[in-house]
Amino acid sequence: MFIRGGNSFLQGDFKLNIQDLLKLAGVAIVVVGLALRLRTTLVVVVAALVTGLVAGLPLFSHEGFFQYLPYLTKPGQAGVINTLGKAFADNRLMTLFIITLPAIGLAERFGLQEQSANLIRKIRAATVGRLQIVYQIFRVLHGMMGIRLNGHPSFVRPLIFPMSVGAARASGSAPRAVASGSLTTDDTLAPARGTDPDGAAQTSGTDSVEKIKAANAAAENYGNFYGQNLSPAQAGVLLVYGVMQGLGLTVSVGDLVWYTIPVVAASIVLAIIQFRRLDRALGKMAEAKR
Amino acid sequence: MMIGYVFSLETVYVLTGVTLLIFALMAFADRTNPRRLGSGLFWLTLGIIFMFGGVAPHWLTGLLVLFLVALDGFGQVGCGRVETDPVERAGHARRLGNRIFIPVLVIPIVTFAFALLFRRLGMDANRGALIGLGFGGVAAMIVCLILTRSDPLTLMNEGRRLKESMGAVNILPQLLASLGVIFTTAGVGKVIAQGIQQVIPGNNLFLLVLANCLGMTLFTIIMGNSFAAFPVIATGVLVPLIITPFGVNPAMAAIITLTAGSSGTLMTPMAANFNIVPAALLNMRDQYGVIKFQLPYALTLWSFHVLLLWLLIKIS
Repeated sequence: MFIRGGNSFLQGDFKLNIQDLLKLAGVAIVVVGLALRLRTTLVVVVAALVTGLVAGLPLFSHEGFFQYLPYLTKPGQAGVINTLGKAFADNRLMTLFIITLPAIGLAERFGLQEQSANLIRKIRAATVGRLQIVYQIFRVLHGMMGIRLNGHPSFVRPLIFPMSVGAARASGSAPRAVASGSLTTDDTLAPARGTDPDGAAQTSGTDSVEKIKAANAAAENYGNFYGQNLSPAQAGVLLVYGVMQGLGLTVSVGDLVWYTIPVVAASIVLAIIQFRRLDRALGKMAEAKR
Repeated sequence: MMIGYVFSLETVYVLTGVTLLIFALMAFADRTNPRRLGSGLFWLTLGIIFMFGGVAPHWLTGLLVLFLVALDGFGQVGCGRVETDPVERAGHARRLGNRIFIPVLVIPIVTFAFALLFRRLGMDANRGALIGLGFGGVAAMIVCLILTRSDPLTLMNEGRRLKESMGAVNILPQLLASLGVIFTTAGVGKVIAQGIQQVIPGNNLFLLVLANCLGMTLFTIIMGNSFAAFPVIATGVLVPLIITPFGVNPAMAAIITLTAGSSGTLMTPMAANFNIVPAALLNMRDQYGVIKFQLPYALTLWSFHVLLLWLLIKIS
């Protein structure tokens, strides 16, 4: 058993020595490297190499022709590069989704996103808040199907935002002058550009519209982040599976999907609460304007 | 015996490797890609690792990984332009309607069917699901070709378009899991675990769960990426201080820890793609407007994670 008393430090049970602290260099490299927005892949591999080397591992295992090379190997120890290679090969399953890309790509060419957009347009939500909830659930279903997608440029900007403004206008919770004119020409799926003749630029400038925009982006994130773990084909589930495997614990991908259900449920319930409050706040803002 | 050989994980890896090889050849030939040599080499190398990773000596795979990362590190992986006409896509969408979802749905259905079949045959259902994912991808290709009456070249080219638009960062989960393995080999987890034990008594489950979720979220906020935080927290806190000593179901604890990190993603400007770029896309006055809206939601859901994990361990 692992459990120790809180006073173990005083008992001198263990000491953190310099060698041990140096091992955290890799963690520090990942944290600093990613915080500085350096190339992620490079940061991760440098952290791996540094961690291995400061822990006293040789570059290569002591085998084959490497054992004749000075400095690069140590007898009886696996090399960092060997460990990296083995781990990368063992974790190929994490990048297995590549094999699903041709089918999804071809489906996109034949209107997968357009048809998704058609479905979104059919949503008849009475209020802004309800529209966000329906959209969030729609994104959870995407995640379940294993579709990886950044919905901000493809759905939120061209569809959900104008539809939200339309819903706000219909329910009287956004000022007319602000909400008008944003639903007319904006139903193509072209990604939003910097110059934006008919949509966001024109309708900015009021607090209620700013709130609607924030809610649009949030609904996308909520649905995307929590819904994606409902599919074993998604990166999160496969990452957890692989990392736990590396730690000597075999978990089942089915169990991972199963145990994420309470979190998905909570993510939807909380969103319902937040978006209903948004509806009330928008209503009050419109009251105040009148 | 023969069937077992065909329907194995290694076969699926080889199929994925072949797909990558085709992507690589197409990338080499793509004149619209300013980095076609680097891109082609990247997908080719990854394809080789997929096909031969099971049999190649580990030092060779390790060197190939360094080569992959060097290509990306020096900005040699780019993307070409495969364009389709939006009007044409809309026309197809009208013609095919909801049937376009069929090929996409084939993937989870086949995955699930394989898992059930493997369980039925008394084999590892987990392995079945992963193998099913691979064959689901292949089945989806066939269904999609029949449905759209398209040709294999277009199929592969569209796959490559999607792959290239995602970029080299696609291999990140695989790299992060490898980093986790090296952390474990080097004993990084032990150092973190010992550090935490100096502050928190090893028998106080609630405080350990709190530290686990807090660490996960703080790392995610700083790095902007919960996937990068997970291997560190799993090796340093979750497994040595919670799962092993308390005999906790590892799947349950691990997936809840991962999504505890998602609260961090909702709160950090470091996750620019999700929080800052949308604010710009929507021309928001306040570039942190999305984060401010998400903040109360993220904090509440985070607290829920702490309580859920603690309760599920308590009642099991």
